[in-house]
This record gives sequence, C-alpha cells and structure tokens, in this order.
Amino acid sequence: MERMGSPENAAPVRNPGPAWGYRFLIACDAILPELIFRPLRWLGTLVAVPLLSDRRRHSEAYLETILARPPSTREVLRHFFAFEEFLMLRLRIARGRPHRGVLAPDALGFHELMFSGEQALLGSFHVGHSDLIGFLVGPQERRKVFMVRQRVGNSLDTEILGSQFRQWVSYIWVNRPENLLFAIKDAIAAGGSVAMKCDRTEFGSKAEEFLFLGARRSFPLSIYHLSILFRLPVVLAVGLPAGPGCTRVHSSPIFRPDGSGKAENLGRARAHFQEFLARLEDQLRADPFLWFNFAPLPATGR
Amino acid sequence: MPDPLVSRLKSLVVATLKLEDITPDQIADNEPLIGSGLNLDSIDALELVVTLEKEFGIKIGSSEESRAALASIAHLAEFIRARADPAKLPR
Repeated sequence: MERMGSPENAAPVRNPGPAWGYRFLIACDAILPELIFRPLRWLGTLVAVPLLSDRRRHSEAYLETILARPPSTREVLRHFFAFEEFLMLRLRIARGRPHRGVLAPDALGFHELMFSGEQALLGSFHVGHSDLIGFLVGPQERRKVFMVRQRVGNSLDTEILGSQFRQWVSYIWVNRPENLLFAIKDAIAAGGSVAMKCDRTEFGSKAEEFLFLGARRSFPLSIYHLSILFRLPVVLAVGLPAGPGCTRVHSSPIFRPDGSGKAENLGRARAHFQEFLARLEDQLRADPFLWFNFAPLPATGR
Repeated sequence: MPDPLVSRLKSLVVATLKLEDITPDQIADNEPLIGSGLNLDSIDALELVVTLEKEFGIKIGSSEESRAALASIAHLAEFIRARADPAKLPR
C-alpha cells in the first residue's frame, strides 16, 4: 500500500475499543455463526460503553443536541453499537465480503463526476458508510482515489481495507499535518482524486461557521480552498446503509470553481457546503445514530 | 536600491493571498511568513508555493523545504535565486 505521508508522531487512539479489538473481532467472525456473534457484540458494547467515559460523554452531548432531550442509556448504547456494526462491516469487506455502492436519486453530482471520469476532491463525513465510498468508487469506477486518514492506535481495519483495495486506493495520513497539503498536492499532480473528511477541523484548516444542529458550528473549508487553487471540482457525499451488502451514496451537486475571483468562488463554496449540511442534518434527524461522533461537537460561534 | 526579486516576492505574497490590510512595502525582509508575522496558515503556504513554482519554474517538494523557503522574504529570495533559471528572475 502506498503511503504518501509517513507519520512519525505518536498515534492517538480515537476509535472506541482497544488496539487488539479488531483482531479479536476477525477471529470471532471466522468461527462463530452470526446468530451467536451478533448478541455477543451487543454484549461487548454493553460492557465497553461504561469504560469509554469521554466518548460516552461526547455521544450523549451529540444525541442530546439532535434529539432535543437527554438521551436514554439505551440510545447511547445504540449509538455505540451502530458504530461497532459499521466497523464490523469494514472488517468483513476488508476480508473480501462483496459490497456494492448504489447512487441515490439525489446523487446527481456524484453521478456526473463518475460519468465524466474527471479528477475531483471528494468531501465526506463520519456518517454511516461514508468511509466506504472511496473503496467502492475505486474498483467500481476504476478510479485512483487518495483517502486522507488519521492514523489512530487501532487502525487495523483501515490498513487491511487499504491492502484489499490497494490497486485503487492509497492513503494520505494526516498525523503530520504540515506534510498533508504537500501530499495532497502530489496526489493531485499524479492524477488522483482525493477524499477527505469535512466534519472535523482536525482534518483541515480555514475553518468557518455554518448552521448545523441548531447553532453556528465550525467546519473546515480547506477542500474548497484546494478546489479553487487546483481548479478541481468538489463533491460532498455520504454513504448510508441500504440493506445487506449495499451502501447508498447521497451527494451534493458538483461545485466547480470558475474564472471569477477567489472571494466570489468562496462565497459560492460556502453556500454549497451549507446546503449539503442542511441535507445531512435532515438525514441525521431521521437516523441520529448514523453520525459516528464520539468527539466534541464542532465548536459553536459566539 | 531595493532588490528587484525581493520586491517582486512581496508583491506576489500580497496579490496571491489577497492580503487586504497590508501593502508590499509593509512586509519586512526578515518577517516570518508562516505562523507569526503575516500569520499565514498551511493552505496559504501551499497557495504561495504553487504560485512561486509557476512564476519561477522551481519545484518545492516538501513541507520541510517550504518551511525553510517561507521562513521570510529574505530566505525565499535566497531559495529562489539558488534554484530558478536566472532568465526568470526580475532585474
């Protein structure tokens, strides 16, 4: 697997669960029938959540914001279990389980991009199956995708997914942020499309405030600055579960920087991002457990 | 008499980054460009690097190199003089 930004800093442990957890899940998945394994995973979540106090607090804060009331213990458990099930899916796909992506009717921007085959910047969020979009887009569309990822203490799922899809997907690790932009520049120069997360300022810079979950919250706009700088289109997308073996991709229309000035392009970029955030909020209100936000909510404005 | 390359670089910084509250003359030769000083961030630095590569036909290949080059206008001028085709330098 090609690695464009070799991290040297100590890796933070961000995902819930111990570093050995993935190997344990893989081993159990190989020997236990799902009828037994799934209740065991639920039990594991039940045991783990009280131990993950910081992440539980962030989950509660997010759920309280979106539900407009304090979440019940069961809802917090469901939030963690939804994330655990997504990690399990990643592990299974990494081990070769077939999985396909289908475009939702509203994914016109994504469809246009796939049809044209042009190089692009793909913005995504920690929502549902969004992490899988790059892996589905690469082999299905025969497109080279560079995915910006943060190496964490337990990145095994990401490592083996990258290994499984190495023909189409390469990672740009963000643990050395000072190298990130040069790695992206090289990826673009190599003709690749770059996928990056847009819901945490740790994944970008040029943060600005947008209306989300009832407040003005800070999101990184770096994807649009890169778009304007390199004259590349931007599509924002999320992948949502659509039944067994399937992820449905929802996307924004394409944002294209035009010949007008940077200020004008950024003005259009802000509107483009805000529009997608509003759609994303609607989707999260329909299924709050899909935003795997176990970190502090994006900072609010004054 | 001011160094024509230094003057050109100051103008490029202001024009590329659309700095509104500052004129080229107000940038000191040894003022840090990144972080403190002009308070440029990593995206600004990348934008500047792309502009410089086009303008002077040079290649800045890593963040270490860019940090060294963008330490100040004086460092940048020295960096470009060492790498650019002399025909591309302002006289």
